Amino acid sequence: MSQTPAVVVRDLHVRFGDVEAVSGVDLVAESGRATALLGRNGAGKSTTMKVLAGVVPPTSGTVTVAGHDAATDALGVKRAVGYCPDVGGLVPRATPWEHLQLSARLRRMGDWEERGRDLLERFELGDVAHRVVGGFSHGMSRRLSVVLAALHEPAVLLLDEPFDGVDPLGVEATLEVVADARARGACVLLSTHLRDLALEACGEAVVLRGGNRVAAMQAADLTGEAYRALLD
Amino acid sequence: MRSSTEPTRAPDGWGDALRDAGHLVAFRARTVRRRGAAAAGAGAVLLLTILSAVGPADVDADGAVGDILDTLVDALSGNVGAALAGTLVLSVVSATSSGGGRELLSRGEASIHPLGPRTEHLGALALAPLNLAWLIQVWGLLAVVALVTPAEARLGAQAVVVAWVLAATALGQVVGWAVEGVRRTPHGVLVVRVAGISLALVAGALHLTGRLRPVVEGLPTTWVAGAMQDDRWPVAALGLVALAVLAVVVGGAPAAWALGLPPREELRVQSGVHEARPLPEPRWGSGDRALLRRLDRGSVWRSVGMRRGLIVLGMGPGLVALLAGLEWGTVLLLPGLAASGAALLFGVNAWCLDGKGMVWRETLPVSARDVFDVRALVVAECMAAVSGVTVVLALLRNGLPPLGTGVAVASCWLVVVVQVLAIVMTWSIRSPFGVDLSSPRATPAPHAAMAGYAGRLSLVTTLTAMLFTALAALPWAWAPAVAALPFLAWSTRRLLRARRRWIAGDERARVVLTVAAV
Repeated sequence: MSQTPAVVVRDLHVRFGDVEAVSGVDLVAESGRATALLGRNGAGKSTTMKVLAGVVPPTSGTVTVAGHDAATDALGVKRAVGYCPDVGGLVPRATPWEHLQLSARLRRMGDWEERGRDLLERFELGDVAHRVVGGFSHGMSRRLSVVLAALHEPAVLLLDEPFDGVDPLGVEATLEVVADARARGACVLLSTHLRDLALEACGEAVVLRGGNRVAAMQAADLTGEAYRALLD
Repeated sequence: MRSSTEPTRAPDGWGDALRDAGHLVAFRARTVRRRGAAAAGAGAVLLLTILSAVGPADVDADGAVGDILDTLVDALSGNVGAALAGTLVLSVVSATSSGGGRELLSRGEASIHPLGPRTEHLGALALAPLNLAWLIQVWGLLAVVALVTPAEARLGAQAVVVAWVLAATALGQVVGWAVEGVRRTPHGVLVVRVAGISLALVAGALHLTGRLRPVVEGLPTTWVAGAMQDDRWPVAALGLVALAVLAVVVGGAPAAWALGLPPREELRVQSGVHEARPLPEPRWGSGDRALLRRLDRGSVWRSVGMRRGLIVLGMGPGLVALLAGLEWGTVLLLPGLAASGAALLFGVNAWCLDGKGMVWRETLPVSARDVFDVRALVVAECMAAVSGVTVVLALLRNGLPPLGTGVAVASCWLVVVVQVLAIVMTWSIRSPFGVDLSSPRATPAPHAAMAGYAGRLSLVTTLTAMLFTALAALPWAWAPAVAALPFLAWSTRRLLRARRRWIAGDERARVVLTVAAV
């Protein structure tokens, strides 16, 4: 008997006023696999991610995340998901530890401190755990956002541009988080402009253009030429 | 290619600075979203200014309103010189507490443009009037002068008032930049705090020994107050305009000095270390809400601008009440204005406390109701705290009021806090803005919007306070408490409506994405 996919998106439309940010995306992502979301700026990747994270409600279409309907059960979606937003994602006058504390508390995690410390060390943020994040560099903020997304070992891990401005050690740590999530059976969706890193982290790739899905394939099949052709 | 022998133009001459400031003002004007509302707001401010300048002279009221007016005139008419000095003090405090005055472009936006300190200085001067305390002070000054000046001398007197306001604002800006410069030197924060406390203590000591009044009366403002009433007014007005121009030019130097130094206090706060605290275990209410509350309070008190603003707003009006010995009828006006000032620090765009972290906050599995309730509570706490300090200091000065007045003060305080809370939470959801409040010079909304907010809040709370002042004069002590009920019911209804809008997923998403600017 086949398992229900962790993420199922059918004919997703998202409209902000007169602008249709996503127009008819279909997407299926399985547990234990990592899928790359690729596409140009404005293709609808980040908006799709925000819908999957329960931040933006779908205007129309069906979105199911870990069995929760994003339109009617946003709280259930948020419990199941770990999300690293594309921009910022940190409360400017709180410390990394306070971010972790809040996330763990609201997800009813008991022994989270050991894992929190371990993740901060892996991302080389251990020595700034109690410093307010307002003074962090862009790369440090991105790394902390990945830590926050991974803390509670979510069933669905959504990483939106996690490599943006991150140094090679941070990239390695992020790839490890993706590998760990896959190994424990989580579904990973990773949005990025960096095709090479996407191929390294993910087995499957979905390409969006103008708010639509234009291709879904094995990541290994997405050559540079093929990707370029899909973008135009 | 320019020869090395050719004369070079100063990179930030006054001409360039004026042009650049003009470009920035035009840029900000073009980004105003609700042009109709902005024009209406500007018209209302202009109308109120004209009414303040000419209206009071024509008021001929009887009964309770007449008594209130007489009390106000008696309290202020002999103190026009002191009121002029108060305008200068307010300009200094305003420029000092906001780190040298407001900025036309946020630090992040301005960093990519070649803007010199003189442009920043002119920008801060241009924005100085977009301040609730400044507007109230100016309106008050115009009204008092209109009341105490004979009709034939009124035009000249008001011209002197306008010239004095210009001069006081420019002088305040000079002091503001100088203090900011000192604050940015090593140990400068300590120096400024010690100097501030010392000044307050000196003023207190002068007052307690009965020497404050002679000192104030010995200030040049007493001469200005006298000159504006007779044929010396052109001399006074021209002299003050010259002083204003001189202060504007002189202010360029401390501005260049201050802006050339690193903002130590902000950098210290941005790299501040806050050791982990155990999870809160509240006696009542949920632990989730307690943790959210702790995070929100941290966002307020770890901000240099908000912390400084709350302290100034709490102590400023209270010290005026304490030192000037304001009557309860006048004290009643202060809680509403203090609460409005506190709301203008961040409450008018309450979600901006989270900045870009708003998106992450929204991914947390917590009910939208809890998030709204906690944020509203933190906004209310700030407003109640600053207005409460004012009331407590007035109590220290005046002692316990009669029962009717006491009920009026308590009712009015409660009403204005709930009233302002309902208004600003509604605005926060209806018109959110993406802003970075890391600089004490930043504002939670664009300047035009801030001016509109300031005007509307001050109008609403002042009218409410005037009603309760009238009710306090009635022989029935219960009357103010009963009158408070419809106000509270209306504000609660408005607050609940804002909460319902926040709970709706698509409305909340709009607010979140706007505030996080994504």
